[in-house]
Amino acid sequence: MTTPLAIEGVPLGGSGREGGGRRDAAPLTLAVPAHEAVALLGDEESGLGRLGGYALGLERPPAGRVTVFDTIIADLPERERLAFRRRVGYLPASDGLLQNLSLRNNVALPLRFGSEASPRDIEGRVNVMLVAARVTGAAGLRPAQASEEECRRAAFARALAFDPALLILEQPFDALTARTSAELLELARGGETAEGARRTILIIGQELPAGLLRRVERVYRVTRAGALEREAV
Amino acid sequence: MSDPFSRLGGSTARRLSRLGALARFGFGALRSLGTLPAAGRAVALRVTLNQIRFTATDAIGLVVLLSGILSFLVISQAVRELGQLGATDFIGTLIVVAIVRELGPLITALTVAGRSGTAIAAELATNRVLGEVRALEAMGIDPRQYLVLPRFFGSLVSVFVLLVVFDIVAVSAGFAAARFNGMVAGRYVEIVLQALALKDVWLTVAKAVTFGVIVGIVPAYYGLAVRGAPTEIPIATSRATVTSIVGIFLCSALFVVIG
Repeated sequence: MTTPLAIEGVPLGGSGREGGGRRDAAPLTLAVPAHEAVALLGDEESGLGRLGGYALGLERPPAGRVTVFDTIIADLPERERLAFRRRVGYLPASDGLLQNLSLRNNVALPLRFGSEASPRDIEGRVNVMLVAARVTGAAGLRPAQASEEECRRAAFARALAFDPALLILEQPFDALTARTSAELLELARGGETAEGARRTILIIGQELPAGLLRRVERVYRVTRAGALEREAV
Repeated sequence: MSDPFSRLGGSTARRLSRLGALARFGFGALRSLGTLPAAGRAVALRVTLNQIRFTATDAIGLVVLLSGILSFLVISQAVRELGQLGATDFIGTLIVVAIVRELGPLITALTVAGRSGTAIAAELATNRVLGEVRALEAMGIDPRQYLVLPRFFGSLVSVFVLLVVFDIVAVSAGFAAARFNGMVAGRYVEIVLQALALKDVWLTVAKAVTFGVIVGIVPAYYGLAVRGAPTEIPIATSRATVTSIVGIFLCSALFVVIG
């Protein structure tokens, strides 16, 4: 059976995207099973911030490999690489919203550049996502004019625009209330099926709000020594 | 310590390598046009029109000022000096060859490079630093389609439009200068038309296209080459401007050689 996301022997040592932190950490191996929401937590120096880039083929890990649906995205030819990434919803730590576009146009952008859908269909899908993320009222604002919560809601709507089977969320709940976090996690799960969540989710961050612990299937923590420990949920 | 020839060779190799990277970047951007979906084309067109508004429409006043003053000064002096020698026929050659064919494209391209090239480099470098380019790539969007192509076509159209404006104003200001210095109106028109050849027209168009490509591609290349530190933004902007200016002058010299 296809594994949505598998990390095999990837050394993380190094903080953020620049590297340069702990370098003696053990390589990370982890599989994210289908229909599960998995939280992978670690401090800023753990190097977890680079996993999203490795998975999407934006960067190559120094060793080991990260596969998405059994595929190493970085190995694909350019056009296929771009197309494959649309199967994965990605929420970067900084939201990654384009500052010169309204929140609505930010949500519409991947659909406009990554699908052959008609403008009417795209507008329809954007409206659905804005309503689902409860950000319709602020849709006309640019990120700098909107609140942090509105930006995060729009970023979630954008990450879900293609209705991906896999979501990678980097620090998605920072600076959000427990209620908003829970609401957005439910939106990300996409409802429940007999197997679990409709979508497979990897949450990367430093901490998970306590209220969300019972809403994810597994929580792992990368210790300061670089070991991976599973926490009870 | 390496000898001067090694250093010269190394420097030349680096420059040629950068030229190759620029060419690859430009062709790659043009090739990405083929995979742009219809809805993406509409967005890219809107961004292109916005670029043209900023690069061409908003710069018309500046180009009119530069062209008008340059042409008025040159033709005023020429009418006085050449008039004393009885060689006013050369005013036609002066306005067509020196101003319309050589200085027009050069000054127009330098104006666009200085005014809009810097803005393109700074904007794209900021996009990179804010993580927007990475986000585009992560969403499966080719950044060249959304960020580079509109600026490329915007610069191409803008340089051409501004050059036409420059030439019209230059010829008109030359006419005003000639009349101001006592030349008969019909005589000015006659000598300008006599000096104008088809070659002048295609050379001017070829220069507009070449300079438009330089101003559209070089700043985008340097802007997107930033790796992520905000301190790289002014460096990228400066490199983009200097490279664009050097490229414009070198191509201008090349046109003189082949023309």
